[in-house]
Amino acid sequence: MKSWHRYAITLVGGLAVGLGAAWALTASGLGDGGIRNGPWTTSLSYGTKTTDPLTRAMVARSGLLALPAKETVYWMAKSDASGAPLDGDCRYSLSGTPLDARWWSVTVYDDKGYLVDNPGRIWSVNGANVALDAKGEWRVTISPDRPAGGAWLPGIERQRFQLTLRMYNPGKTFRADPARAALPRIVKEGC
Amino acid sequence: MRRWLGPILFGLIVAAAAAWAAILYIPYGLMNVAMERLGQGGTNSMSHGNLATPERQPVVRPSPDLAYSSCPYDLSKGPVAIDVTPVPGRYSSLSLFDAATDVIFVRNDVEAGGKPYRIIVAREGQAVPAGVETVRTNHDRGIALIRLLLKDPSEISALDTVRHQSSCRTVINPK
Repeated sequence: MKSWHRYAITLVGGLAVGLGAAWALTASGLGDGGIRNGPWTTSLSYGTKTTDPLTRAMVARSGLLALPAKETVYWMAKSDASGAPLDGDCRYSLSGTPLDARWWSVTVYDDKGYLVDNPGRIWSVNGANVALDAKGEWRVTISPDRPAGGAWLPGIERQRFQLTLRMYNPGKTFRADPARAALPRIVKEGC
Repeated sequence: MRRWLGPILFGLIVAAAAAWAAILYIPYGLMNVAMERLGQGGTNSMSHGNLATPERQPVVRPSPDLAYSSCPYDLSKGPVAIDVTPVPGRYSSLSLFDAATDVIFVRNDVEAGGKPYRIIVAREGQAVPAGVETVRTNHDRGIALIRLLLKDPSEISALDTVRHQSSCRTVINPK
């Protein structure tokens, strides 16, 4: 083997490894974005000019055109309160008190961040369409089939799914300490 | 084996350089894709999209609660004027993203006092009309995005007229 053959092999190998590494490094989305609150995670680095190139590439892949935190905080959950991955074949109770924001919504996405069709043609719940009970709490059932009673947010059958919680114009109290803010609980009820 | 030492070292350097170049390029590449998908009405004009559904997802993680209007812009022929008309009593915002995906401007309906407003987007050094609020950028290309929150998807047709009052166009002969 001639010397340039060896260089040609490592050139191709190096390119492949480098591009693969870039794709893998930017794939973690914002799950590792920094702030944790139960199963919810967020990064406050969306839409800022100071983000480093790696964060910018991660944000571009997972939340292109996302707004900065003052405008909207995006929380992501891939697991329930016990830490188990969200499973589209299981039934979950999603509940909480009205969030400290001008508007909020919770949307079901597949593990790549896209909407998936369901019989109810429902993909989200928001502060305007949930009913509050006597204790001032709202409750939604996430399940593959429509529950007997109460509000329904369809899960994604035979797939893992993730939730995105959007808080538009979050309040000052919330922004002072997002890690301790009261966020919706995600409790598995059965499979 | 010693004959591989140089090539392997070379391969590692290539890998590091390729990874770094790809990481720098990813935002620009994805922004180009988004501009093409959102820009079916061409550049420098506002298109008022339908609500996101599984069948229509121009970008990752689209919100099914938002009516998006978008204007992929290109400043190479001159600055662009964006007119926004908020809808009374509900959240809406205009945001500008440059070719590197960075946010260069955000204003919501409350900050706008609920009133219509105009923004000029221009590169450094481009002449702009006097007396209009101007956002300067160092990239020619980018996306202007208007988000309007719906309480229910069925509201979208009733809001069509007011949505169409927001527009985007090249500024001709700025004086």
